[in-house]
Amino acid sequence: MAASDDDALQVLSGDDQDDGAYSSDFEEEEADSGEEEADLDEEEGDFDDEDEEDEDSDEEDGAADGNVEANDSANHEEIREALLDYIGNGNAGADGDEESDDREAADESDSSEDEAPPRNTVGEIPLEFYKDEEHIGYDRAGRKLKKQARKDQLDSFLDRSDDPKDWHKVYDEYNDEYVELTKEEMGMISRIRQGKLPHAEVDAYQPYVDWFDWDGKGHPLSNAPEPKRRFIPSKWEAKKVVKLVRALRKGWIKLDKPKEKPRFYLMWGDDLKVNEKTANGLAYIPAPKAKLPGHEESYNPPVEYIPSEEEINSYQLMYEEDRPKFIPKKFDSLRHVPAYAEFIKEIFERCLDLYLCPRTRKKRLNIDPDSLLPKLPKPKDLQPYPTTCFLEYKGHTGAVSSISADPTGEWLLSGSRDGTVRVWEVQTGRCKKVWDMGGSVFCVAWNPNPALPVVAIAVSNDVVLLDPEVGDEEVQLNIAKLLAVQPSTSEPTENTPLIGWKRHDKLRGIQLSHQQNVVRVSWHNKGDYFVSVSPDGNNRAVLVHQLSKQQSQNPFRKHHGRVADVLFHPARPFMFVATKMHVRVYNLAKQELSKKLITGLQEISSMALHSGGDNLILGSKGAKLCWFDMDLSVKPYKTIKNHKEDINAVAFHKSYPLFASCSDDLSTHVFHGMVYSDLMQNPLIVPLKILHGHQKGERSPSGSSMLQSYPATSPGVSDIKFHPTQPWLFTAGADSVIKLFCN
Amino acid sequence: MDAGERQVQVRFTTRLGSDLRVEATAFSLPVHLNRYGLSQIINTLLALDGPRPFDFLFDGELIRTTLEQLYLSKNLSAESILVLEYILAVGPPELQSSQPEKDWVSAVNGVNPSLILSGSYDSFARAWFPDGTCGSVLKGHSDAITSIAVAGSSNDTDLDVITSSKDKTLRLWKVPLKPSSSTLSSVRIFKGHAASVQCVAANPSNTQVCSGSWDSTIKLWKIDSEDEDNEDEQALKKRKLDGAKQSIAQVTAFTTHKEHTQCVAALEWPEDRYIFSASWDHSFRQWDVETSINTLTMTCSKALHCLSVGGEGSLLVATGGADPVLRIWDTRMPGTVVPVLQLTSHTSWISSCKWHRQSPKHLLTSSYDGTVKMWDIRSKVPLQTVEAHKDKVLCTDWWREDTVVSGGADCEFKLFKYTPIEWL
Repeated sequence: MAASDDDALQVLSGDDQDDGAYSSDFEEEEADSGEEEADLDEEEGDFDDEDEEDEDSDEEDGAADGNVEANDSANHEEIREALLDYIGNGNAGADGDEESDDREAADESDSSEDEAPPRNTVGEIPLEFYKDEEHIGYDRAGRKLKKQARKDQLDSFLDRSDDPKDWHKVYDEYNDEYVELTKEEMGMISRIRQGKLPHAEVDAYQPYVDWFDWDGKGHPLSNAPEPKRRFIPSKWEAKKVVKLVRALRKGWIKLDKPKEKPRFYLMWGDDLKVNEKTANGLAYIPAPKAKLPGHEESYNPPVEYIPSEEEINSYQLMYEEDRPKFIPKKFDSLRHVPAYAEFIKEIFERCLDLYLCPRTRKKRLNIDPDSLLPKLPKPKDLQPYPTTCFLEYKGHTGAVSSISADPTGEWLLSGSRDGTVRVWEVQTGRCKKVWDMGGSVFCVAWNPNPALPVVAIAVSNDVVLLDPEVGDEEVQLNIAKLLAVQPSTSEPTENTPLIGWKRHDKLRGIQLSHQQNVVRVSWHNKGDYFVSVSPDGNNRAVLVHQLSKQQSQNPFRKHHGRVADVLFHPARPFMFVATKMHVRVYNLAKQELSKKLITGLQEISSMALHSGGDNLILGSKGAKLCWFDMDLSVKPYKTIKNHKEDINAVAFHKSYPLFASCSDDLSTHVFHGMVYSDLMQNPLIVPLKILHGHQKGERSPSGSSMLQSYPATSPGVSDIKFHPTQPWLFTAGADSVIKLFCN
Repeated sequence: MDAGERQVQVRFTTRLGSDLRVEATAFSLPVHLNRYGLSQIINTLLALDGPRPFDFLFDGELIRTTLEQLYLSKNLSAESILVLEYILAVGPPELQSSQPEKDWVSAVNGVNPSLILSGSYDSFARAWFPDGTCGSVLKGHSDAITSIAVAGSSNDTDLDVITSSKDKTLRLWKVPLKPSSSTLSSVRIFKGHAASVQCVAANPSNTQVCSGSWDSTIKLWKIDSEDEDNEDEQALKKRKLDGAKQSIAQVTAFTTHKEHTQCVAALEWPEDRYIFSASWDHSFRQWDVETSINTLTMTCSKALHCLSVGGEGSLLVATGGADPVLRIWDTRMPGTVVPVLQLTSHTSWISSCKWHRQSPKHLLTSSYDGTVKMWDIRSKVPLQTVEAHKDKVLCTDWWREDTVVSGGADCEFKLFKYTPIEWL
């Protein structure tokens, strides 16, 4: 083996160093397979032959090994091509080397400074070999070159002195002649002596030209020239390739089998592969599967599936669509099963279903319905609010139409359709006083000024001011003075007073006779002014009265619709006039319309103002409740449809954040209505409690027929008022009972 | 007795007299026994002539469940011996008399053992004698009487009575103690409140009176000294001679407390040093009389209508108000928000509450639900409930330790007598 090794080395040494390297590797690998050594030598000796040999060996292998598949050839081909490419390159590289040698020679000749070839051809030998000879060497034709005769010192001196160019002559010992240096050569010598570069045209310090394109690279790359290894084939790759070739040839590498097409497949299987059909944006929805036959449809179904005679008969009584489509039947053998009569029909129907029923993908919103609800605090945390009825004020014989609480909270005033007005003691439910008004009472209002306990009562066409006799002596005197009708001081005025302030016929009080039914009276917070509303009074629908001067005035020339309710702003000179659809806010100081609230309600029935004066609630005939934040907008901040029937009254608590509405559906709804002093924060409205307890009253007024039935009495809860200091709610019902709900 | 039933060891103790004492050995009793069963056992052990009901105390609480439930609730070991103290039970009261009045009875007072005072919405106050006869009628107010206080007596023949009324005044009367029917007029009138006077209370030494009103003030008045009374008697005689036109002596308040923000609904003057007041502004306060300082304020969540000071060492305050819960507060814990005890059994507002004058454990309440209940604070369940009136009960009080007087909106004035009981 060693000998062959050496041989190989010798063979390759002259050729290429690289080849030698991998041939030696080969040798090591082939060590065990001695039989192929000869081949190997051949192979390595001549790479060009490899193609044929490879093919040969493949064929041989194929013949020898029946397992080798035909498909292998394709892979083989590929590898071999790669190999050939490589080898070709290698050869090309070798060729290239030769070429480059030639080129080098040419370069050398080009760069040679000798214009003419040297006369002597002895080569670079020590010239002392010819010291004793007559000649100095041989010319190209092989003739001896005779040494020239030596000039003696004198002659040479003379020559020098004769010849001005002698000083730039140099003796060439090799050719035995004097060479005259040219001007350039002289310059060159002088530059060398000065320590400069010999060639004047070479600039050693020329400006650096940056050949690398730095723009956009962002990474400082080396500007080192490409290394040589980039241009020469890799030894490692060549080794790898040879190994692969070898392994292929030996059959050590098995290539993958081609995939066989399955012989059996699901006929409708790809129906389910929705992905394939929807991949490129097609909205494909697979058809619903037809129901597979079960035990029922068997020709020999189990006994329990076969319906009895009665059952079959009962099917006849059923509706066509409820009747079972298929009635299981037993056959002795499959041969006896007749053709299925419904087959064509069913297939047809299914086809109809499939192409006539458009299938759409339902987009299901994945939202938790609870998350859509607003996050409200629990009613438990918003206590106190009225919850339970502990006290009833009984005594009226007709529907209670209106209630009003004394500002201190000790008394409650109520007016009823039975024609009486009562004063109740809140704590015990004791009726302190009964006034028979002689007419249906529409509205009662206790003066909100605690120093002036006077009540205003709207009885049919009149407003009556009475003294409830609850103040101390001083107050009583004051009231007696107020309620004494002043003799009109300016009698001879041409225009008759708007309203006559008269002494009441029976009771100790003042009577203000209006032309039409008065349905609302409402006091100003200071207790001197009050306003009366008679919806049928046309341009005299709203009249403002002053108690201290006993004067009335008509602030409006006309109204835009039927006036339902009027309220004074608690602190500022504003008046809220609710007509059927809108609420107008008038500035009384400037005498102009300051705002018009667009309610969107069917018909406003009642109105209540928050103690701050900026929030208003409206109850409507359409069972809707509106909250207006007047700083926010002229549209409702919130509209709540809480009742089933018309809302009769709404009320705000003076100090607690509570409001309530009552309705003909016999219920009263209590809400938490927090108004924040921070203008940026919207009011918080939380429903708290529904209060029941009132009975259904009669819609038409009870009592004698002389009592006017206008406006129609509500059958449910007709009025509500909060206790001025406690979180309690009074509700007045058409069942003639007033209830007190406490926290 | 079921043989399979579980038995517990019970030992009875008592502080009753020796005739009602059983031997202090442990008995094995079935667990299903309740108060009635235990009472029966005591009765058999004592072999009394007639059956007497007993109540049983365990750990200071009255037993209102079966023994089994007691064991479970107290987490007792079934092997431990249960020590039960028994006391005489309070039997159901008997209606002694029912007097119809002309109007709602709004105030009763049973401080004096020889007569009962009642005030009515017809503006009269009346003195009733134990036999059920109406003695004097106190005429003078122009509106409903709201409260009556007794300010002792200057002599043996008559009693100083102060009434408060919705007519914003208080009046002092001298009510004769001996049974005689007469119409009295007031001796003195206390003027100064701006609104209905809701309550009145006299100090224990009977020299001063305090009154609370809807004008949210508490006013303190002096009852005049005896020699003046004598003069007054003379004046009274004079007045009788001169006719009714003679004006009555007027008294003005010497101190006014204005800290309450709403109606002062109830007052009590348990000791000369301090006053308790309850108000609709959800608070009850203690006032030092000499310095006129509000020394204690406790706040409840509901408006208060009545208040009573009592219990061990007069340290507990019972308040009732605009809800059916009777709350008992400890004045030694001024910062607390939660009452010591909440007694719930009524179904409507509590109109009045009164501690027993001797017993620190017994309490009387009346409610708008028409019942009068007696409570033992050792139990969360009322001892006795009386359907006293057909309508709201407006007032109730103890009289002579074992009798309860009550007045209501059904215009009846009733007396209920409990079986003689040893309260302590």
